[in-house]
Amino acid sequence: MGVVTKAVNWARIKSPWILHFNTGACNACDIEIIATLTPRYDLERFGVQLKGTPRHADVLVCSGPVTRQIKDRLVRIYEQMPEPKFVVAVGTCACSGGVFQDCYNVMSGINAVIPVSLFIPGCPASPKAIIDGVVKLLQSLEESEAKK
Amino acid sequence: MFKDLFQILIFPGLTFLVIFSLFAEYFDRKLYARLQNRVGPPWFQPFADILKLLAKEELIPCEANPRMFKLAPLFAFTAAITAFLYIPLWQIKTLFSFNGDVLVVLYLLTIPTLSFFIGGWYSTSLFARIGSVRSMTQLFAYEVPLFMGILSSALLANTWNLKEIALFYSAHPWFWLFNLPGFCIALIALLGKLEKVPFDIPEAETEIVAGSFTEYSGKLFAFLKLTLDIEMVVGAALLAAVFFPFGLQMNPFAGFVLFLLKIIFIVFLLSLLRTVMARLRIDQMIDFCWKYLVPLAFVQILLNLAVKGVILK
Repeated sequence: MGVVTKAVNWARIKSPWILHFNTGACNACDIEIIATLTPRYDLERFGVQLKGTPRHADVLVCSGPVTRQIKDRLVRIYEQMPEPKFVVAVGTCACSGGVFQDCYNVMSGINAVIPVSLFIPGCPASPKAIIDGVVKLLQSLEESEAKK
Repeated sequence: MFKDLFQILIFPGLTFLVIFSLFAEYFDRKLYARLQNRVGPPWFQPFADILKLLAKEELIPCEANPRMFKLAPLFAFTAAITAFLYIPLWQIKTLFSFNGDVLVVLYLLTIPTLSFFIGGWYSTSLFARIGSVRSMTQLFAYEVPLFMGILSSALLANTWNLKEIALFYSAHPWFWLFNLPGFCIALIALLGKLEKVPFDIPEAETEIVAGSFTEYSGKLFAFLKLTLDIEMVVGAALLAAVFFPFGLQMNPFAGFVLFLLKIIFIVFLLSLLRTVMARLRIDQMIDFCWKYLVPLAFVQILLNLAVKGVILK
C-alpha cells in the first residue's frame, strides 16, 4: 500500500462528516442523535461534523423504519452522496423495522433499501451507544485497510 | 526566475500559505470549541478534512454548467493566493509592489465572493441560488466600509502603495493608533467577507443548507474550503499590514514571528466575535453596515484628514 493511499485512509478515518436523515422515526432516536452532537459529548474531538447537504457528507445516519413514502427520497439522498460513503442505522426500528415490522406502510429496516455498514440497536439508542458504534465503524475501517 | 517561482509556489506563496491557513483554521476551531466548553478538534483536523475531500468522488449535477461549475473554485483559490504576494510580510519591501497595490489586493479579495456567486448560480440548485444572491447582496453592504476603513489608513500615509504605507508608519511610529476605529470597522467588515457567524447569512446552515456550496463535493469543495481559509489569513495579513505596521525593521526572523503573531491575534478577534454573536437577518446586516459602519468610517476619514492637516503640517 502506497504512502498516498495510507494518508488518504488516515484522513477518511479522522474526518467523518455526517448527514442526519429521519426515515420515519418517532423522533426519540433523532433527539438522541442531536444530543450526541451537543458540547457535552463533543464529537468534533473525532472530527465528526454535522453537514446539511449530502454532497459534503461521508456517513448517512438514518433513524427509524423506512416508510413507503420516504423510500424514494432515501435512495435519492444516498445516491447524491459522493463515494466512499457509509450508512449507519440508529435505533431498533432502523435496524429491523422494530415494532413497525409488517405494517402496511413500512418496508422494514434501512438495509431493505440501501446497504448499511453499521447497526446501532436501542429504543432509543443512547448517545454513548452511538459514539461507541461510530468508533467501532472507524476501527473496522482501519482494520480492513490494514489487511489489504 | 527560480527565485520568483520559489517565492510564488513555496515560500511565502502557495505551500506556506496553505499550511499556515490550515493552521489558522485549526486555531479558529479550537478556540471556538474551548469558548463553548468543549475539547475541540485535534491539531491535524483541517489537514485531514482537506486530504479526505481531495480523495473523494466529485459529483457534478446534470443541470449545472460543468465548465463554470469547475472553474469557479479555481478562480477563487488563485485570486486569494495572488493577493498575498503584495502584502508586506515581515519587512518593509514586498515581493511585488507598484503604486495602488492596496486597491489591487482589495479587489483580488473580492474575486472569491464573485466566484462563489458564479459557482452557486451555475449549480442551478435552489439553495445554492438563494445563497449566491445573498452573498452578492451582502457584498454591497460590507465592501464599502471595508474599503473606507483600509483606505483611511492609506490616506493618512498619503499613498496607495502598501510598501510606502509601511515606510510612512515606520517613520511616524505611533501614528497607527489614530487608525484603531478604522481597524474595528475593517475587522467587522472582514467578518462579512469571510461569511463568519454574525454575517454567515449566505451559508446559513439552518436555513439554506450550505448556500452557494450546496452542490459542491470532493476536490472542488476542498478548493472552496481552502479559499475561505486563505481568505481569512490574507485578510488578516492585510489588516496587520495596514493597521499594525510596527516591528517591520527588526531582523527577518523576529519580524516573521511578529507577523505570524499579528495574524493570529486578528484571527483570535474574528473567532471571539463569531462565538459571542448570533446570525443576523440579511436586512439587519445591511442596515447595520450602512447605518453604523459607513458613518463611522467617514468619521475615521475626517479624523485622519484633521491629523494630516494639524499634526503633519
